[in-house]
Amino acid sequence: METLQHFALLLVGGALVNNILLTRFIGICPFFGVSGAMETSVGMAGAVVFVMTLATTATWVFWNVLLEPLGVGEFLYIPAFILVIAALVQFVEMYLRKMSPALYRSLGIFLPLITTNCAVLATATESVRPGFFTMGVEYTFGFGEALVYTLGVAIGFGIALISFAALRERLEVAPVPEAMKGTPMAFITAGLLSFGYVGLGGLFGL
Amino acid sequence: MDLLLIVKAALALGAIGLIASVLLAAASRRFHVETDPRIERVLSVLPGANCGACGNPSCFSAAEALVEGTIPVTACTAGGQVVADAVAEALGVEKCEVAAIVSLRHCGGGAVAKRRYEYSGILSCAAVSRLAGGDLECPAGCFGYGDCLAACPFDAILLDARGLPVIDLDRCTGCEACVKACPRGRIGLLEMVPEDAPIAVRCNSHDRPKMRKAYCSMCCIACKKCEKACPSDAIHVVDLLAVVDYERCTGCGACVAVCPQQCIDLHGRAVAEPASELDGAGARAPEFEPAERRAAQGGDRS
Repeated sequence: METLQHFALLLVGGALVNNILLTRFIGICPFFGVSGAMETSVGMAGAVVFVMTLATTATWVFWNVLLEPLGVGEFLYIPAFILVIAALVQFVEMYLRKMSPALYRSLGIFLPLITTNCAVLATATESVRPGFFTMGVEYTFGFGEALVYTLGVAIGFGIALISFAALRERLEVAPVPEAMKGTPMAFITAGLLSFGYVGLGGLFGL
Repeated sequence: MDLLLIVKAALALGAIGLIASVLLAAASRRFHVETDPRIERVLSVLPGANCGACGNPSCFSAAEALVEGTIPVTACTAGGQVVADAVAEALGVEKCEVAAIVSLRHCGGGAVAKRRYEYSGILSCAAVSRLAGGDLECPAGCFGYGDCLAACPFDAILLDARGLPVIDLDRCTGCEACVKACPRGRIGLLEMVPEDAPIAVRCNSHDRPKMRKAYCSMCCIACKKCEKACPSDAIHVVDLLAVVDYERCTGCGACVAVCPQQCIDLHGRAVAEPASELDGAGARAPEFEPAERRAAQGGDRS
């Protein structure tokens, strides 16, 4: 029961309280880039869940098997993680193209877009390094915790992106002043949305 | 100690790189996907301007759609007959004829059209049209700031001395980029017409003739002389504006001769001897750059 609660907190903490897009402002580029239409943002959200989880799995293993035992992780983690994630995404893209053309068509064009995207890299880093996600104490994740936390972050990314895309689609037909149409309005909307997410801070004592 | 750390770091990164490269090399063999070679072949005969007139975002996706057969071989409006034939050949299907279209400007105003205010902002039709509806008194005429020029992917439009865009029919491919870029494209200022359409009416306003004449001396005055002069019943005044029925028009030029406003031109690729250098721009058009360019190229024109 204790562990179940712990994992649930990790999930909620990653998805809502520390929402990667709207409270920490990491991964803003795809947030504004693909949120113009519902369809693309759903595709993007799916791809992010997929890539982020895979990336953290791989980097966690590399960190604990290779980098940490050699004592080089502390300064090498960024290039090493980029290398691992880029290769992995490339591999997955090839695999999907051959094995599952349908999935490739829906996720395919987004996969290269988020190869070592800042959000992916940030989550992979947080999952192995202590101190990023403290919950009161300095803390290093085990494999299961890292995975659940990453899943939470990716879901949070998806929720924020899709809800933002829905808002932007409504705004397309709203009587917005001429000078504010498009990106300026999107930034204002993102700011207001961000207020809402910041308001979740302190939820469940997280 | 430090040296050891450097070696370790290099080894670690090298090992990751090696694993990754081996994995990817194996994967590219194992998961190699045969792409349809026809896509490459079709793509090589498409113009490659990515103009989007066929409804596909790029020439590559157009090539895919052509191979899949979801769009006809004549879909590339920009490429015309040549590309349609090449595509048909690459795909091994029967050739078909393309009804080519070109852009036509329905305005002869330019410098003679009255302006409501002096505009000194960004030189863009889209910008000026947002400022109280634009500086032209005419609600349908050409601003002459050249958004169509900038939009044309084939460099087929030039501004002449009258401040009007002139369409070089040798280069115009009918991609409609200018019509989309023009803030008045939707109300018919620029129109796509069959390439052999021989007559152009250079006015787009439906105001009452008296009002029209007050703001532009080149306008159609709805006098119906062209209608009466036409031997083939191909030109009619509809809503106070002369409109040509290209199905019937033979290009005899009777309407051009009788128009008191000189508002009707000979135009089009099929016209043997255009009234002026280009675009059937009208006998009144003074010398301008494209004429010189053409002369330099040997003066061939169609």
